[in-house]
Amino acid sequence: MKLIFNYNQSNTNHTPQENDVDLPEELKRGSLPLNDVNEIQIIRHYTELSRKNYGIDTNFYPLGSCTMKYNPRVNEDIAKLPGFSNIHPHTPANHAQGALEVIWELEEILKEITGMDAFSLQPAAGSQSELLGVMIAKKYFAEKNETRTKIIIPDSAHGTNPATAAMCKFQTVTIPTDKRGNMDIDEFKKAIGKDIAVVMITNPNTLGLYEENLSEIKNIAKENGALMYCDGANMNALLGISKPADQGFDMIHLNLHKTFSTPHGGGGPGGGSLGVKLFLEDYLPIPRIKKENEKFVFDSNKEKSVGKLHSFYGNFGIIVRALTYIKSWGVDIQKISQIAVLNANYLFCLLKDDFDVPYDRRCAHEFVISAKNFGEKSTINIAKRIIDYGFHAPTIYFPLIVKEALMIEPTETESKETLDEYAKVLKTIIKELQEEPELVKNAPHTTPGRLDEVKAARKLNLRWIPNES
Amino acid sequence: MTEKKFTKEHEWLENRDQIVIVGITEFAQDQLGDIVSIEFPQVASSFKQNDVMAIIDSVKASSDIYCPIDGEIIGINEKLLEQPELINQSPYDEGWIVKIKPSSPDQLNSLLSKEQYDNLVGQNKE
Amino acid sequence: MNFIPHTKDDISKMLSVVGCSTLDELVSEFKPRLSELKLDEPKSEMDIVSYMTALSEKNSPMKYFAGGGSYDHYIPSIISHLVSRGEFLTSYTPYQPEASQGVLQVLYEFQTFICLLTGMDVSNASLYDGASALAEAALLSSAHTKRKGVFVEDGLNPNYFKVLQTYCDGTELYITNSIDQNTACVISQTPDFKGNIKNPSGLIEKTHQNNALFINCISDATSLAIIKTPGEFGADIVVGEGQSFGIPKSFGGPYLGYIAVKEFLTKKLPGRIVGMTTDDKGNEGFVLTLQAREQFIRRERATSNITTNQTLLALTTTIYLASLGKSGLQNVARASYHRAHVLQEKLCKNGFELINTNPFYNEFLVKSPKSTEKIIADLMEDNILAGIDIGDNKLLISCTEKNSLQDIDSYISKVIA
Repeated sequence: MKLIFNYNQSNTNHTPQENDVDLPEELKRGSLPLNDVNEIQIIRHYTELSRKNYGIDTNFYPLGSCTMKYNPRVNEDIAKLPGFSNIHPHTPANHAQGALEVIWELEEILKEITGMDAFSLQPAAGSQSELLGVMIAKKYFAEKNETRTKIIIPDSAHGTNPATAAMCKFQTVTIPTDKRGNMDIDEFKKAIGKDIAVVMITNPNTLGLYEENLSEIKNIAKENGALMYCDGANMNALLGISKPADQGFDMIHLNLHKTFSTPHGGGGPGGGSLGVKLFLEDYLPIPRIKKENEKFVFDSNKEKSVGKLHSFYGNFGIIVRALTYIKSWGVDIQKISQIAVLNANYLFCLLKDDFDVPYDRRCAHEFVISAKNFGEKSTINIAKRIIDYGFHAPTIYFPLIVKEALMIEPTETESKETLDEYAKVLKTIIKELQEEPELVKNAPHTTPGRLDEVKAARKLNLRWIPNES
Repeated sequence: MTEKKFTKEHEWLENRDQIVIVGITEFAQDQLGDIVSIEFPQVASSFKQNDVMAIIDSVKASSDIYCPIDGEIIGINEKLLEQPELINQSPYDEGWIVKIKPSSPDQLNSLLSKEQYDNLVGQNKE
Repeated sequence: MNFIPHTKDDISKMLSVVGCSTLDELVSEFKPRLSELKLDEPKSEMDIVSYMTALSEKNSPMKYFAGGGSYDHYIPSIISHLVSRGEFLTSYTPYQPEASQGVLQVLYEFQTFICLLTGMDVSNASLYDGASALAEAALLSSAHTKRKGVFVEDGLNPNYFKVLQTYCDGTELYITNSIDQNTACVISQTPDFKGNIKNPSGLIEKTHQNNALFINCISDATSLAIIKTPGEFGADIVVGEGQSFGIPKSFGGPYLGYIAVKEFLTKKLPGRIVGMTTDDKGNEGFVLTLQAREQFIRRERATSNITTNQTLLALTTTIYLASLGKSGLQNVARASYHRAHVLQEKLCKNGFELINTNPFYNEFLVKSPKSTEKIIADLMEDNILAGIDIGDNKLLISCTEKNSLQDIDSYISKVIA
């Protein structure tokens, strides 16, 4: 294993030589334990590493709940334009009108898509958007002098939902899922009350199913004065088809990197956002961006605001990419969701006779099947074997309520041919499980072998350590 | 040595001279899988029955360990800090977790016997 | 544009497999939408490029003498070529390590670089930005000490202070004016917002006497190349903004937060961490590790809800540091230091007063003999951002290796004109 620290070469001199500085000894750094590596070696080292990595560009990557759609390259070029990439965040607003307009315009479009009355693009990711939403709820009820200490979250939810609630010192009330894959309405009725601040629902939920009782849930939540929060991780099913505000939600967060095609970059940077109804607008983070007499200005004069959330104004470069994407689709965006739903249902139909199907209903943009009939640990074995066939595995063992779960989200940018191929591979692997089980249990065979996660956690090795010389 | 007692939360207890030793059961370690770390309570801290007193992390789960009985923590199994796998290898012996000085020893009587616990675990199996 | 590969024939074949006659029928259950969708007509690539380019041209890139949390350092060409590779750009969190060894090794190298630069033991794989990294450090301190007081030394970047305040309000921590038995952490910025480099030893001692944790927040990351490391001073946690390491200014984001700790806090770190291990054949490889800390396992018991990190920017930073190497990074830091000191001396010869009481690195605060508002407006005519106006005719000025001596001369001549 060669690390970048194992080379010792002459420096490429990207910047000119300089003399030492005149700092007092007590403040001055001693040795700087970095090595010099020449540029050609750096190119080879990281090109080689890139080849050890699956991406959407190289492999179908149907990770459920992650919306791994094609990332249009024009978005990248636009984000690199000097008028976007080279703008300092302390540039006075009148010299950054284009930047303010980009943020303002994306806010307007997201309002239109979700039906919300105001949006903030300051959150850096989905989880920070959620945190913002829960902070807003906390402040809103504090100002109304209502003591509400709990948040209702279905058991199919992403782990971030309860983690966010706990960060803000709310207790989570977990509602089980019913036989059709909805949040259990009877259990919900038992749990709702004046102590509930927020009902936090992912719609469509993480089973890839549209919540069928939403309208009733909304009415009951409202009667009890609770806020309705939508985790919009799965908005790729609903673009142009249904507006979450019309479904009864008061707040929604959208992940720009999921729904709006900005690259996932190996795990970030993503982009968050939070949309709210009018009565919550004043709580959004400062500064807000306003349009006044055809000019865009910052507005920090918001007494009720929960405050500031980001060093500056959010992940601007991601906002630029998302705006480019949505503007290129325009009013046709509903085609994105229609085809995403078609692809998911088509692949589901190709596979549902081969796997256990926990909820046999038409799905939204993703679906969950189970490999429990093939024995314990089948799912991990299948996932590893998929890699040998040149595809990425789906999300596995999530949601937690489905045993041996495989959660598959093809997205709209995958062709029928790719889906047919994926179904064929899964069927082949099931056959292998019966005929040559060792082949599957020892997979993958085409990449590094199975990595020992237990050893990694017990004998921590989290960095390279230089040899003392 | 007295007979072990059990809880529904899969802890075992053994009363040795007014000191109660607590661990997790064979069934629990099997469910958790490979244990990678444990977060202990502070020695000399007190807990009520059913308070969360420790957290055990495995590769696939993070589980609360509940205090099975009112009392004060008087010892922790420091070996587990270096070798958490002892819980997997020897849950009833080398993998013990804490020692408690009970403040209401009578609570022991209301806990499950081995037979009752085995029945409970049997029901959990599909 | 259209990024959907299906032909009409594909769609009708697929619909019949699904048992639907139209696409509208397929999604008919997803209700309601009470109003029409008012969006523009779709655009071709050519049209969207010209639309977005026009927007970008409403902004004016300049010569920057402003810092305040974002620094205009030179970015070597090699970075964008490597970072644009689709295998990196279009991958996701390495849930299947066998298919993600590239990204995992990059993150391991990133963690190492952060440790080497800060003098700390362990780093995570990055957080959102400098401000949220600081807030996460405060949460970590509270979880570790079971206390709620957050003490902030004078001189923290005001934007960071505001973000910290937001997180404290939401999570029921509080900003305190004293260091005592209720203090979870003491926060000190280096160099501070005004540019001062202070020796934190005394404050660290006081912090530890009260069993609190000391958090050192670094402003311009290149300063780590020449200032004594926080690890050596005795900090427990180091956080900062990695933007200086090859990340475009991009109007404030996406940037890269980093957090590094002493070993005893390893298991309290928020976010992703990569560890080295072996595969089933005994070969070295990498995985995400200590995942039981994270929200997707621990759910409501997690101390942070962080899911993603900023991998692509951690890659950027890693390639930046590899490319510059020891001598390159020292040169960048030295040049930034020298240019700032040249400019400061010239300004002080022309009636400006230096406010800094300590040595400074590449950022300093001056009181101007004339209106700073006018100075900023005047220099803007020559496409120079003169600094950050912090009121009371005080200007916060920053230099990097990109500000040439000629730039400094034109700055001065414009100011005294």
